[in-house]
Amino acid sequence: MDTTAQREGVGLPGNPLGMEGIEFIEYATTRPQALGHVLEAMGFHPVARHRSREVLLYRQGGMNIIVNAHAPETAGLQGDDPAPVIAALALRVRDAAGALRRVLERGAWAVPTQVAVMELNIPAIHGVGSSRVYFVDRHREFSIYDVDFVPIPGVDPHPPALTGLHFFGAVQYIGVDRYDDWIAFYDELFGFRPLADEQRFGILPKGHVLRSPCGSFYLQLIEPEAGTLDVDGSEYLARIGLGTPDVPASVAALGARGVLFNDTPAAAPGPRGALTRSEFGRVSFELVHDGAPLTSP
Amino acid sequence: MSQFNGNVDDFGMDTISLAGTLPAKLQAMKAAGFTQVMLSARDLVGHAEGVDAAVQAVRASGLRVTGFQVLRDFEGLPDGLREYKVDIARSMMALCAAVGSRVLLVCSSTSTHASSDLDDIARDLRRLAVMAVPFGIRIAFEALSWGRTINEFPVAWDVVCRADMPNLGLALDSFHAFAMKTSLDELDEIDPQRIFLVQLADFMWNEIRSVEERIDTARHFRVFPGEGAHSRQAAEMVRRLDRLGYRGDYSFEVFNDDYQQMPLPMVAARAARSAVWLGETVLRRSVPLPGTLRLRGR
Repeated sequence: MDTTAQREGVGLPGNPLGMEGIEFIEYATTRPQALGHVLEAMGFHPVARHRSREVLLYRQGGMNIIVNAHAPETAGLQGDDPAPVIAALALRVRDAAGALRRVLERGAWAVPTQVAVMELNIPAIHGVGSSRVYFVDRHREFSIYDVDFVPIPGVDPHPPALTGLHFFGAVQYIGVDRYDDWIAFYDELFGFRPLADEQRFGILPKGHVLRSPCGSFYLQLIEPEAGTLDVDGSEYLARIGLGTPDVPASVAALGARGVLFNDTPAAAPGPRGALTRSEFGRVSFELVHDGAPLTSP
Repeated sequence: MSQFNGNVDDFGMDTISLAGTLPAKLQAMKAAGFTQVMLSARDLVGHAEGVDAAVQAVRASGLRVTGFQVLRDFEGLPDGLREYKVDIARSMMALCAAVGSRVLLVCSSTSTHASSDLDDIARDLRRLAVMAVPFGIRIAFEALSWGRTINEFPVAWDVVCRADMPNLGLALDSFHAFAMKTSLDELDEIDPQRIFLVQLADFMWNEIRSVEERIDTARHFRVFPGEGAHSRQAAEMVRRLDRLGYRGDYSFEVFNDDYQQMPLPMVAARAARSAVWLGETVLRRSVPLPGTLRLRGR
């Protein structure tokens, strides 16, 4: 390990922010209970409640999901639209303040902190659409949730992951002819790099996949289908990908909890992956095989 | 303009050529057969009923927005000034996105406070382009003929290449190229995919002898392509760009004090005549078949 880099905050080669995975993913919604039911079916448990705002923390294994019903309008939700949106990705980084400084110098837009969910000053920048990217550095010595959240009494604060589920990635829908722009954006600010076209995960091998500099999180960029008319061009985080060492086992375990899977020919569950049926027209999860390579049939 | 305007759809007017209110300008352009409009920030912030009403007027007009202008003196500034200018750029981008424009025009700096180092300039343009990505905006960088460091398009192309961002490209303005007598052969060095906008204008005299005269001519005495002393060059430029594979928009960047005193339909008719000349005589485009679809918007 390069001690100069550690001591003086010099970026590590290829991982300029010292990224180490995802601390949490945040949904914004006007219907937190309905979304909570979906998350619980997926194996998450509500473990803590925000001290002052209508915000809940769900957890399973190493995954934290924040459900924010406090200020949904800032996340781009409009009127009575019940569909939750993915409002933020929180990246674990070596030094949050340093990370913010670095990305601002390179063209990121800071989000004013007074509208942030957390009372801790968690630096944030604008991401795709109305979403944000947070930088969290206190994931080792103590947790950010200890400050802002009150544990729900009688609940295991660290529920184990169902069948080894963990954050694998996120799918981002982008506008026409926007691959190059977004690939450059994620590379310049965070050090995400595109994978070779033949390297694909899951059952929906569309678009381009970018790997985080820490190698633990993937972003899949997907353009509208060629020839689609009336594309509105909106860009947003469409769904979360969950990694599992055994997709069929996860499908069976989630199925037993009432989760329905997409069984259209193009996206039927298989050993490589599976896609949950969309709730509220927008919320779905993609399971992705993540572990020992699958042997060919 | 002919009743089939498919072969002039790539040509549009700029609001700066017309006097009057934004709705009157949009109406005159539309009546003359244009399908797109180049907007200025001033059109929005100067609207009597505010920015939202201006955005609404543009959307209601049905005209496609060619681009949005103009961010000036952005690149190469020292620390304090740079952050000020980044703030200005943010507000320009917010307006640009609000009005549905995918192109923001950025002119090369005239500031004596700015660095002349091409790598400094490229670094700032790269940052600007990263800022523009979440908005879906492309940055079109133009060499102003009186720019301090960058005053010809080949140098602008050099810094665009150094900055190396896919949403950073060139805006070519025929006036500046003709005024500087930049060889059109230089166009062959440019990737046509990275030309995000072409602005066309002519002017009445053959020679421009000083920087002051260049600025004065640019701001007060431009005319539509085909109306001035450089028609052959304008035609040559459009033909070369077409041959090169450029399929983007052409906007008439015509600042003219006389046009500011003429009824809007008369000015728009002159612009339309220019568009027909370029589309039919210069590019010799045939009229598209009825019902031709435009699948991908720019």
